[in-house]
Amino acid sequence: MVRMRKLWLVVLAAAVAVIFLLPLVWMISTSFKNDFEALSGQMNFFPLKPTVANFVQGLNGELMNVPITRWIINSLSVGIAGTAIVLIIDSMAAYAIARLHDLPLRRVMLSLFIASLMIPGVLTFLPMYMEFNALGLINTYPALILPATAGAFGVFLLYQFFSSFPKEIEEAARIDGANKWQIYARILLPSAVSIMVTLGIFTFMGIYNDFVWPLYATTSPEMRTITAGIAMMATGSYTQSYGKLMAMTTIATLPVVIVFIIGQRSFVKAITQTAVK
Amino acid sequence: MKSSVMSRFTSFLFVLPYLAAFCIFLLFPILYGAYISLHNFELLSTEHKFVGLANYIEIFTPGTYLSDIFFRGLWVTVQFVIYSVPLLIVVGLSLAMLVNALPGKVRGLFRTLYFLPYALSASVMAVIWLMMFDTNAGFLNSMLLRLGLNGIPWLTDTPWAWVSLIFTTLWWTIGFNMIIFINALNEVPEDYYEAASIDGANSWHKFTKITLPSIRPVMLFIMITSTIASFNIYAQPYLLTRGGPGDTTKVLLINVLDQAFIRKEIGSASAMAIVMALLIILISIAQFKLTNGRKGDA
Repeated sequence: MVRMRKLWLVVLAAAVAVIFLLPLVWMISTSFKNDFEALSGQMNFFPLKPTVANFVQGLNGELMNVPITRWIINSLSVGIAGTAIVLIIDSMAAYAIARLHDLPLRRVMLSLFIASLMIPGVLTFLPMYMEFNALGLINTYPALILPATAGAFGVFLLYQFFSSFPKEIEEAARIDGANKWQIYARILLPSAVSIMVTLGIFTFMGIYNDFVWPLYATTSPEMRTITAGIAMMATGSYTQSYGKLMAMTTIATLPVVIVFIIGQRSFVKAITQTAVK
Repeated sequence: MKSSVMSRFTSFLFVLPYLAAFCIFLLFPILYGAYISLHNFELLSTEHKFVGLANYIEIFTPGTYLSDIFFRGLWVTVQFVIYSVPLLIVVGLSLAMLVNALPGKVRGLFRTLYFLPYALSASVMAVIWLMMFDTNAGFLNSMLLRLGLNGIPWLTDTPWAWVSLIFTTLWWTIGFNMIIFINALNEVPEDYYEAASIDGANSWHKFTKITLPSIRPVMLFIMITSTIASFNIYAQPYLLTRGGPGDTTKVLLINVLDQAFIRKEIGSASAMAIVMALLIILISIAQFKLTNGRKGDA
């Protein structure tokens, strides 16, 4: 009885999984079709005339005359640079707020940072654009990287972790003559590797996947990120070139899905940890 | 222990880089946005006349252009919130319960599969579904045709445009809520259910009398985060329906950005953005108070 019931549940779960996977499978399948076949309305999961032309042209920059390779490089560089900055400055700030009690205005800053978590993005979007515009930084890498460094999520996450770090270890190091920088770099950071990985995955995926800000913060084709580029193609004149579009989305999805699957466990842990608080 | 000025300065150096980012890219934009909203600020001109609260007054004066696009957009956004939030909760919980009921060996696999679309960018998600929903060549209509049914104008007619927006939102984001629910379900003590079984409770009773009350805090957390996320709806209607048919799915955020970047009136667009942000903050505070208030009663 129980075994029968379990079996039915697995069948049900598999049916549900089809809903989640089918669009992705169809995306990959379509990316190997020419535009004619992609628009034929036939439901062949295996292309009749499979072709890698969409990918080859895409990586050569010949696909729709847009530099997809450059877009991917932009997205990866911006994501990696932003993530590195966030990990460094957030961990330093969190260490100071959690452990350095002589920090001036410690409580004020903590409350301010936590309160800022409630601020919706719409409040800062337009003035941020005007700010970068005034600084002449629209259409540059700083415009794509820096806005993501202001979020307090990482400070908050690491603050919680550092606060619960045992005092004795830190005391012992101090007696041995270690200064604040050494305690930060040699004791607290190594203890925080797993949570830093989590924060890194979150941050990278956030920057890589965002398309609205890069859409407005870039003006020339070679500065676009892949997600902004795809949004432009989808609203532009290539709306129905599904074979080409799907090659593009497949390429765009690859890095982030790899990061997601590798980091899934810590991702899940971080979501549940912050949710319960 | 008294600490020297030097020591306090060193401590401050640790916060300085983040503090600078926080001030330059969060605090300053908020203040600057408020300043812009008090001016007749056009994107392409260099002269910005101070107009006081005129932009805000216009938003709240019925019949004006600003008031029209603000409240029409707001109503569309509110409709999206009303349609999506209950489903985001119910479907999220259902998937969590399904995953938890599976044999341990396949549980992780299905959890990952349901969560996978969450890793996609909004623009990738939207382009995939543009193709799936395509009236002539789309996967869904091809399938309907094969079954001898008529195609459906998924993105170009109501109520289908709404159905499509809600469905893609669920497909894309439901994994997040599911993960949180799975965790909450796992934290309900097993002996509660055992005790209930001994008392002869059936599954429905266990669900309503044990599961639901135990996960209520998490449920309210998800209600708040889903409401905020749905209030910020932009990508799906911007890329899938383009606000159509007509203006039926033109949400508030589309109108705010159009006012700024198409009509080039950043001043009034900022006023709209600020009113919208205040609304979101108010709603989250209200829901938060509600949660804490109820917790106090129990």
